[in-house]
Parts: sequence; C-alpha cells; structure tokens
Amino acid sequence: MRKTTSQSDRRSFIKYVGAAGTLGLAGCVGQDPSEDGGDGSSVVIGSNHPLSGSLGGTGTRMDNAVQLAAMMKNENGGIESLDGAELEVISEDNQGNQELGGEVTDSLIDDGADVITGCFSSPVTNAATRAAERAGVPFVISVSVDDAILQDNDLQYAYRPQPPASQMAVDHAELMPQVIRNAGQEVQTAGLYYINIDFGQSVRDSLREELPNQDIEIVEEVSIDFGETADTAATQLADADPDVVIATTYEAETVELVRAMDNQNYAPPFIAGCANEALNDVGALEEMGETVEGALPTNFALNPTLDRASEVRERYESEFDESFDANVAMTYAATEVIIAGIEEAGSSDPEDINDALSEIEVSDHIAAMPPISFDENGENENALAPLFQVQDLDDRVVFPEEYAETEIDL
Amino acid sequence: MIATMGFSFGSVAALPSIGGLATESAMVAFIQPSTALQLIAFAILLGGIYGLVALGLTMIFGVMDVINFAHGAMMVVGMYTVWWTATAFGLHPILSIPLAVLGLFALGVLVHLTTISSIMDAPQENQLIVTFGIMLILISAIEITFSTDPQSLGLGLGSVAIAGVFLPLGQLYALLIAISAVVVVWLFLQRTQLGRAIRGTADDRTAAQYVGINVPRIDYLTFGIGAALAGLAGAVIPLFQQINPYLGDSYLINAFVIVVLGGLGSFPGALLGGLIVGFVHVFGQYYLPGSGYQISIFLIFILVLLLKPEGLLGGGVSE
Repeated sequence: MRKTTSQSDRRSFIKYVGAAGTLGLAGCVGQDPSEDGGDGSSVVIGSNHPLSGSLGGTGTRMDNAVQLAAMMKNENGGIESLDGAELEVISEDNQGNQELGGEVTDSLIDDGADVITGCFSSPVTNAATRAAERAGVPFVISVSVDDAILQDNDLQYAYRPQPPASQMAVDHAELMPQVIRNAGQEVQTAGLYYINIDFGQSVRDSLREELPNQDIEIVEEVSIDFGETADTAATQLADADPDVVIATTYEAETVELVRAMDNQNYAPPFIAGCANEALNDVGALEEMGETVEGALPTNFALNPTLDRASEVRERYESEFDESFDANVAMTYAATEVIIAGIEEAGSSDPEDINDALSEIEVSDHIAAMPPISFDENGENENALAPLFQVQDLDDRVVFPEEYAETEIDL
Repeated sequence: MIATMGFSFGSVAALPSIGGLATESAMVAFIQPSTALQLIAFAILLGGIYGLVALGLTMIFGVMDVINFAHGAMMVVGMYTVWWTATAFGLHPILSIPLAVLGLFALGVLVHLTTISSIMDAPQENQLIVTFGIMLILISAIEITFSTDPQSLGLGLGSVAIAGVFLPLGQLYALLIAISAVVVVWLFLQRTQLGRAIRGTADDRTAAQYVGINVPRIDYLTFGIGAALAGLAGAVIPLFQQINPYLGDSYLINAFVIVVLGGLGSFPGALLGGLIVGFVHVFGQYYLPGSGYQISIFLIFILVLLLKPEGLLGGGVSE
C-alpha cells in the first residue's frame, strides 16, 4: 500500500506526535484527600506516594505501610503524650511524576498534614521536600535513594532514615566482597547494570567511588531504560566478563537481564544487587529461578531477628493481601520515626515535631539497622543496608551477623 | 535453557577486560565477529517487532489520515489478553494470540463506530484528542483491572544457538508471527476485492467514492485491521518480556519514528524503518552510553526529514 503524501499530512503528523507527547507528560490525576484532618483531635500524617503509573504498585504498598503503622499505633492507645490522640493518614497520588511532588505536598499541607512522608522516586522526593521546607512542615523520606535530595540542599525540615545511594554503595562495596573473600573466593572485577534514571545513576556514581576502595575494578557499565529488553546488555556484560554483575534496577529490568543471560548461556561467577527491587522480591526470584540462587543483594531490610518485625509483616500481609518487601519495611520504619517524633514533641504543631525529629533517637523500629538518629543534613547517622543472599529463591539477611537470619552459603 | 543447531555452539566469546569506559570507543575496532553477528541477530529480531508495531499505525494513517494515539494502548490490551487467557484459563499463549487479534479487531471497529466516524471530517486536532482520550481510558481500565505491577507468562522459552549466535526463541517466534502477519495483510490488500478497495481509498478517498467504494465501511474495517495489528504486536510481546500497562509507550514512540522514516502509509517502509531503528537501537545500546541510542534514532529521523521528507519509501511530495 503506497500513498502520495502531502507535506501538510506529514507536518500534521509530526506536529501532533509532539503535542501529544507533551500532553502525556502533563497528565494529572489526584485522589480525594480526607477532609477532616487537622482539627486538633488527631495528628495528621500526609502520605505522598505514587498510587498510579508505573511505580503505582510499589507506591500503593508503601502507602499501605504508612496506614498500617498509624493503625497499629491507634490500636495501642494512640499518641500517649497527646492523651491518646489518634493518628490520621491522608494520601495523595504523585504518579511518580516530578512535577507533582511539590504540588501533592502543598495539597497535603492544605488538607491539614502536620508531617509528611514519601515519595519513592528521587526526583519526586526532591521536589516534595523543597515544598515542605517552604511550608515549614517536617518531611520524613520513606524511600528515595538519591544523595542530592538532602546533601545538595540545605533543608531544615527533611529527614531520611534509609541509607542514601552513597551509603548503599559503601555497604555493598564493603559487605559483598567481604563475604565472598571470607569464603575463600575472589572478586576483582565488576560490571554495573543500572536503570537509566536518577535512582540508578546515583547508585552507579557511588559504586564508581566505592568499589575501587575494595580493589574491585569496574570493567563495564550498562544502562537500561524502562520497557527495554536486556539482550544487548547481557552481551555487553558477557564480553566484559566481570567477576560480579551488580544490578541496580526495579523488578522488570533485572528479570529481563537474567532472562537474557540465560538465553545467551552467560553466567557470571556472582550476581549481586545494590538497591535492587527484583532480588528482594519473592515473586521475581521465582520467575528468575536457579540463575539467581546465591545472588548477593544489598538493601534496606526488615530486621529478621525481631519478633515484632514478624508480627508487622504478618499483619500487613493479612490486612492488605500484599507482599511485604524491603520498600514496605523501610516505609513502615520511616512512619515509626514520625510517630516517635510526635510522641517526643507532645504536640501536633509541625515546628514542635520538627524540633523533636532533629534531636530524636529511635531504637524501637523494625528496620535492620542500629538506632535511627539524624545528622545536620537529616541523614540517618546509623543507616545500614545489610547483605542478603538468595537461598531457596528467598532473600535472607546474611550479614552483618547481628541481623543475620541464616549463614552465608557460597 | 539453550537448544543448539547447526555447526558451532557455545557461549559468546568474551572480550578482554576493557579497563574502564574511557576505552569504550576503542572497542569498536576490536569487536569480535561473534559479537557483531549476535548484535545483528538482535537487531533483526527487534526491528521485526518494531515493524509489526508500525504496520497498524501506518495503515490507519495511510487510509484514513488519522493519527491513532491509542495504538500503544491497544497493544497493551493485546498483551493482557494473552497474559490473562493464559494464566486464568491455562490457554497456551500461542493459542491466545488469535483471540487477542480478534478482540482488538472488534475493539477497533467499536472505537471507530462510536468515536472516530463522526469526526472523520473534523480537524485533525479532534481526532488526536479523541484517540488520546481512548488511550487514557484503555490504560486506566488495564490499571484498575490488573494493577500496575509487572506481569509475566514465565515461559522461559530459552534460545537456539546457530553458529555461536543465540536467538531467543520468544523473540524468534514473535518475528515469525510478524512476518506471517505482514504476508497475510499484504496478500489481503493485493489479492482481494476488499483489499483493493482499501488501497483505492488510501490513494484517493474522493475518487474511491465516485467509483462506488463504500468509504465509511472501508474506514471502520481499516481501523479494525489496524487495531488488530496493534493487538498482534502486543500479543507477541509476553512471549519474551514482562508486561505492564505502560509498555506500549516504549514501542509506540519508536513506531511513530518508523512510520515517518519509512514513509507515511507505506507497508514496506514500515518494515524497512523498523529494521533501521532496530539496528540503530541495538548497536547504539552496545556502543553508546546511556540513552545515546535513542538520540541516534531521532537524529536519523531528523536527517530523513531534512533530506527525504516523504520518507524512505514514501510517495512523492505534492504541493
């Protein structure tokens, strides 16, 4: 079929393609917030997460974690220092879009949020924390890895319990080679495979700095975009032949890499992950199968040695019929920090809560890390990303020993 | 799981360590033949899929002058049709593909009759906004019904190795299905009365009416066939890739480039454009950092627009 094409047809086609692309980026859908917050009888936590869009699945689970932490606190009598005042959570959808990060934060504050948590996507969190700063409302990051959020901005109202990218890389670069070398094996070269967005790039940059300190040379760096297959990436990594392939992606991209590696009969001596979603997701592990057995991901984690952590996990799974992954655990822990801050402040005033958070030390939390307290940048001084190992297609914490649920098996 | 055929087997020979990315450009000169062949194979496999995605888009535009922004969403409906029928009813994915094609044909006809037909003579902005709205409705429906989490058939089809080149069977099946679809559609357009009527309408809608062709009927059939081709393109993707409600966008962006590259309304142009984009994509991924391959694709797109604005296989430009 062939047609004589006029210039106007072609120009129209190109013009509308561009226009629609712009429209697609500008799409905006919100969720009705609760209207009865901020009346003095309760303390309102604003949850700013992606509830739709490509990050919507994880974002919804994280929002559920905020809801559960508040629900369990209310069941246990509410905020003691406020005579049992109840916690209320209002949630809005940032769709994983940076331009909505600040807008959703402003909206939550307008709807009465006394303290806010979010946002999963680092660019969104960057915008959201600035909006909270302008309004003088404390913001406790649930999950967002980019160092720049707190370290490139002089924020007085933002806090991050989780390890940022640089700390994740430090922990991974220290723990992963240590356990391999302790087992009498060698790791001298690494290939980095990362999602080509802010999250992946920030972890990559940190690994570039940290791995050479552990005598590991980076011999290949391969990025992947959303929706891509990883065939070429697997070929690149196979050609570079590193001792360990370190993947930093969401679920789909690591699943694609493993599938491509299998298809090309390529198996590096070690597979590892730094802030990798797939290697800490049981469903993804089952899909990837034997290839990832023994893999060594580093990520924030639920403390497997705590009975209370197990109770929270069981309650979450029964309440929401969803898996309790690392992002959920960290979000729950971040909400525990918020609750501790409110208790410490004995007030629902954002300024009082912020003052309390800046000085607080939270020992009673479910994350696999020491007591949480914040430095002058709002970073957790004791943040830790422990090392897991995939054993029987389940992610098990194996190092450091105080958080290990089982022994390393190499 | 690797099956082997032919006369050379085994894994891809590894290059020596490159000692950092500063030497990456030097790798071009030292690429091993096995790696080059492997990349060519991936490029052809990917290009075939891209060509299939672009076929429906170029057909609808070629006949109706309608830019169907719901094409990617229709692909997604095709993906989820295969995934859902396979996981919920245990139907073999290959058998689910015809269901997706038929379902999308019906959806395409329905969409045309209820929305597009009444604005065929309206400015193109109207059609653009309507198809954009249909896209949002379809994606939202998928989100609500199946959640935004990635889904997979978990087929693990493995690959076949020929002369040291690995061909992933999922992509290979998809390419064969794409080629079959092109042949069938081409035969339909060339050898049937209805096909000739569609081509006649594509050449000149007014003249087609004068010679007795029922152009409104051709329009809804064309939109249905275009949607069915989108459904087919989407239906083969779960054979080799996890799916999510937004995956159509990844393919659609390049499909628009392919349609312009190959020539608006040109079937062979869509296939040629698909292969070109496939090669640039794969070799660009291998040699260029980050999203450099995507920049390369758009640079070629701009060059074609400047040097041969009617597209590589498009018709002559008329003033």
